[in-house]
Amino acid sequence: MKKFKKLVVLFYLIGIFAVGCKKDEGEVDIEYPIIDIAFADAFPIQCSTFTRGQTITFKAKFTDNAALGSYSLDIHHNFDHHSHSTEVSNCTAEAVKTPIKPFLLIKTFQIPAGQTMYEANNQLTIPADIDAGDYHFLIKLTDKEGWQTLKGISIKII
Amino acid sequence: MLFLQTFVFAQQAQLTVHVTGARGFAINDARVTINGTRQIYTDSIGQFVLSGIVGATYSLRISKQGYLNENRQIKLESKNQSLTISLATLSHQLDEVLVKENRNLIRKGEEVLNVAVVNSDFIQRNLGGSLMKTLERLPGIKTIGIGSGQSKPLIRGLGFNRVVAVDKGIKHEGQQWGADHGLELDQFAAGEVEILKGATSFMYGSDAIAGVINVKPSRPPLKHTIAGNVDLIGKTNNNLYGTSVNLLGRNDKFFFDTRFTYQDYDDYRVPTDRVYVYDFEVPITNNYLRNTAGKETGIHWSAGVIGEKSNTVFYFSNVHSKSGFFANAHGLEPRKVAAEFHDRSNSDIQLPSQEVNHLKLINRTAYQFEQHKIELELGFQRNFRQEFNQYVNHGYMPANYPSNLQIPKDLEREFDKKVLSANLRNKFILNAHQFTIGTNLEFQDNLINGWTFLVPSFKQYTAGIFIYDQLKLNETLILQGAIRYDYGKMKLAKYTDWFESNDSQKLVRAENLTRNFNSLVWSLGVNYNPSKLFFKANIGKSFRIPIAKELGANGVNYHYFSYEKGDPGLSPEKSYQLDATLGWKERSWSLNISPFYNYFPNYIYLNPTANYDYFYGAGNQVFEYAQSKVIRYGGELEFNYKLTSFLNAEILGEYLYAMQISGVKKGFTLPFSPPPSLLLNLTYSPKDTKLFKDSYFSADYRITGKQHHIVPPEKKTEGYQVINLQIGTSLHFYNQPLRVSLQAQNLTNKKYMNHTSFYRLIALPEAGRDIVLSLKIPFKLVKHNHN
Repeated sequence: MKKFKKLVVLFYLIGIFAVGCKKDEGEVDIEYPIIDIAFADAFPIQCSTFTRGQTITFKAKFTDNAALGSYSLDIHHNFDHHSHSTEVSNCTAEAVKTPIKPFLLIKTFQIPAGQTMYEANNQLTIPADIDAGDYHFLIKLTDKEGWQTLKGISIKII
Repeated sequence: MLFLQTFVFAQQAQLTVHVTGARGFAINDARVTINGTRQIYTDSIGQFVLSGIVGATYSLRISKQGYLNENRQIKLESKNQSLTISLATLSHQLDEVLVKENRNLIRKGEEVLNVAVVNSDFIQRNLGGSLMKTLERLPGIKTIGIGSGQSKPLIRGLGFNRVVAVDKGIKHEGQQWGADHGLELDQFAAGEVEILKGATSFMYGSDAIAGVINVKPSRPPLKHTIAGNVDLIGKTNNNLYGTSVNLLGRNDKFFFDTRFTYQDYDDYRVPTDRVYVYDFEVPITNNYLRNTAGKETGIHWSAGVIGEKSNTVFYFSNVHSKSGFFANAHGLEPRKVAAEFHDRSNSDIQLPSQEVNHLKLINRTAYQFEQHKIELELGFQRNFRQEFNQYVNHGYMPANYPSNLQIPKDLEREFDKKVLSANLRNKFILNAHQFTIGTNLEFQDNLINGWTFLVPSFKQYTAGIFIYDQLKLNETLILQGAIRYDYGKMKLAKYTDWFESNDSQKLVRAENLTRNFNSLVWSLGVNYNPSKLFFKANIGKSFRIPIAKELGANGVNYHYFSYEKGDPGLSPEKSYQLDATLGWKERSWSLNISPFYNYFPNYIYLNPTANYDYFYGAGNQVFEYAQSKVIRYGGELEFNYKLTSFLNAEILGEYLYAMQISGVKKGFTLPFSPPPSLLLNLTYSPKDTKLFKDSYFSADYRITGKQHHIVPPEKKTEGYQVINLQIGTSLHFYNQPLRVSLQAQNLTNKKYMNHTSFYRLIALPEAGRDIVLSLKIPFKLVKHNHN
C-alpha cells in the first residue's frame, strides 16, 4: 500500500506541474497581413470603372510583420447582387440581371520569400466580348504562416 | 424434471433478488459478490438468484457504476423468498448513506478509466439545444456548435473523429468530420449517458482517442406495467416548442418502449445588431440571426424478450432534422442576402439549409451461463445528409446551371452513408480475474451527390479483436490490462468534375485509392480505493484510421471560404495518453482532480498554407492535411461542499494546453482548443413537502478565461462570465408526480464569443438570454403489483 501512496503523490506532482507549466508565448506569428489600397496610386478602389477591351493595372501595398505569402485576385459578376464590399461607402448598382457571358478572372501571384513589404503591380486585360455590369473585385492576401486578409471592392465594367 | 430437482434438494433454498434504482427501475449488470468471493451479475431485468441452504447467512455486496455499493447480510429462511434491494444514486444521496456510517462504501465504482455518468434528470435539468450541449456542463466536455440545434462533442479539446459516440451499444456513424454537422441523437430518448475520458481504443477501436460518449437506452419497465410520460419543452430565445411522448409496457417477459419527439424552433437571437464576416459587415435585424430556424423529429420503437438467462431487444429509431445555415456566411465568399426576404419570417427555413435523416436498427442479445456472459450487438444505420444552396458557379463552372444536369439545382452536397456493425463479447470470471474478449466488425458505404465536391465516395471495412482483464487483488485494489488488434481497409472512389475547366478538360479531383491499416493498441490501469481516498490511473495507446476527407478532400469548404486538400499518403494517427483521477471524500465535502498528459507522434490536422488554389475552386486559400507531433496536457477539478443539509456548493474547473512540436505549424496550438474555465455553483434544495418534492434552486456562474493561444485561421477570444439558473420541483397530486424545470441560460443577456463555436471565425456572439421551461408528466395505465 505504501507503494501506492507514493504513486498517488507522484501523480499529484505531475498534475500540479502540468497545470503550472506555461510555455513562453509570443514565439509564433499571430498577426494578419495588411492590404493597403488607400494610397494615391492604388487601383482599383471602391466604385472604380473598367472599360471592356482595356488593360488595367492593379496596384496595392501589402505588409506583414514576419513574411508575406501570396495573393489572389478574383473578378466575378455581381449581377444577382450576391456580393458586397468591405468598404464603408456603397456604389450605385444596376438592376439584377441574368448573366450571358460574364467575365471571370482568378489569378494567383507568389510574393518573393521573406518579404515584409511588397508593392503589387499587375496588368489585367478586360476582354471586349463580355457582359457589362456590376462586378466584384476580391483581393486575398496570405502571410507565410497562413493568416489571410480579404478586401472586397465593388466595380463596374462598361 | 424441475419438480423432481426441487424435491430431491428439499433442504436447498432460493432467494430471488430484484435490484432497482431509487425510482424502481431495474438495474442490470450490477455486480453481486457473495461472501466476498463468488461473483455474479444481475440480468437485464435486474434480478439474480441466490441458492443456498435454509438457515445459512450470506453476505452480499452489490455494486454498479453510478450507484452506491450496498452491503447486506441475508439469512435464507424459506425455500422461495424474494427481496427487492434498491441502490442509491451516487451523486444525489451521499448523505443518507453516510448517516449509516458505511463510509467505505462510497467509491467511484470499479471503473479504471475516468468516468462520469448522467441520467435523464440531469438532462432535463440542464436541457440545451442538443444532447451534447446539455453535457457541456461537465468539466472537460465542450462542444463545437452551429446554430441552436446542432453540436458535436469535444472531450478535453478533441472532437470530430477523435471522439466515439455509442448509441445502444453500436458506434454512431454519421458525417462526424464536419464542424457544421450535429450528432443525430435525440436527447429525450437517452436513459443514461456515460462519458469515458481517456485512451479508449482498446474497447471501441479506431477513433476512441479522446474518449467515448455512451448513450444508453432507458431500462426495461417493471413487470406487468403499462406506463409512460409526456415531456413538454418551451424556449424563449428561439421560440422553441417541443414534446416527447413515451409509452412503455411489459407483461412478464415481453416489453415494448415507444417514443415520439418533435421540436420546432425559429431563428435564434444574439445580443448584437451587426457581425463582421471576415471584414464584410452584416447587419442583423432585431437580433434574429437570419435563417437559423429548424425542426427535429425522433421516432423510437423497441421491443424485447427478457428471460432468466438470456434476453434480446430490437431497437428502431429514426431521427430527422432540418435547419438553416446563417445565410451571410456560406459559400465562396461572404454573401449579401436579400435581408427583407430573409427577415420577413423568423420561422421559415430558406437556403442555405441542411436536412439529415439518421435511421438505426439494432439488436442486442445477451446470454448468461455459469460464469460467462455473452453479448451480441448487430446494427444497421443509414445517415442521409443533404445541404442545399442556390447555385453559384465557381472555378470554371458555367455561369448558369445547365438544364440537362441530373443533380437537383439546389443540391449543393449530399452524403449517403450505410453502416453495418457487429460486436460480440464474452465476459467471464476466473478466480479474481474478470476477462472480456470480443470482436468488432464494421462496414461503411458512403455515396456522394451534389453539384459541388469536397470528399469522394468511399467504402471502409474495419475489424478488431480484443481482450481485457480486470484483476481484483483485494477489496481496494483493481488492476486492468487490455490489448487489441485492428485491421482497416479504406477504398476511395474516383471523382471527375461535371464541368470543363480552362483547357476544356474535366478535372479528376480524386483518384481510386485503396489503403490498408493495421494497429495494435493497449491499455493499463489501476483503481485504488481505500476508505476516503480514491485513485485511478490509466495509460494507453489509441489510434485512428485517416478519414476519407483527410485522404481525399479536394474542394471548397463553404463555411470557411477555404479550399481543402487531402493527402492520400497519411498514416494512421497514434496517441499515447496518461491520465489519473485522485479524489477524497468526506462527509461534507469531496474533491476530485483529474490530470492528463497526451502525446501524438503524428496528429492529422488541416494546415492553412500561404497558397491559393487556381483550378479547383475560386482562388481560395489552400488548407492541406498534414501530420505533426503534438503534446497536450491539462485536467479537470471537481469540488463539492455541503454547507448545510439544504445548501450545496460546487466548483468545476478545466484547463487544457496543446502545442504542435514539429511541422510547419511548430509552436502553434491545435484548432478549437477550449480556454480554461471555472464553474461555481450554489444549490439550495429545500425539504420535501407534501406537494413539492425534490425541489432545487441552483445558480451556475461560469468564468471562462481568454484564449489567445491560436492557430490560423482562428481569432483571439476574450474571456467572459455567464450566469445560468436552474429551478425545479416535483409537484405531487394524488401520488402523481409532475416534474417542472425552469432554466435561465445567459441570464444577463451577455454578449460573448465562444472560442469553440463554429461561428467564432465570423465573430458571431453566442445566443442571448434563453428561458427554458420543461415539464415531465408521467402516467401509469397498468400498475405494477408488488409481489
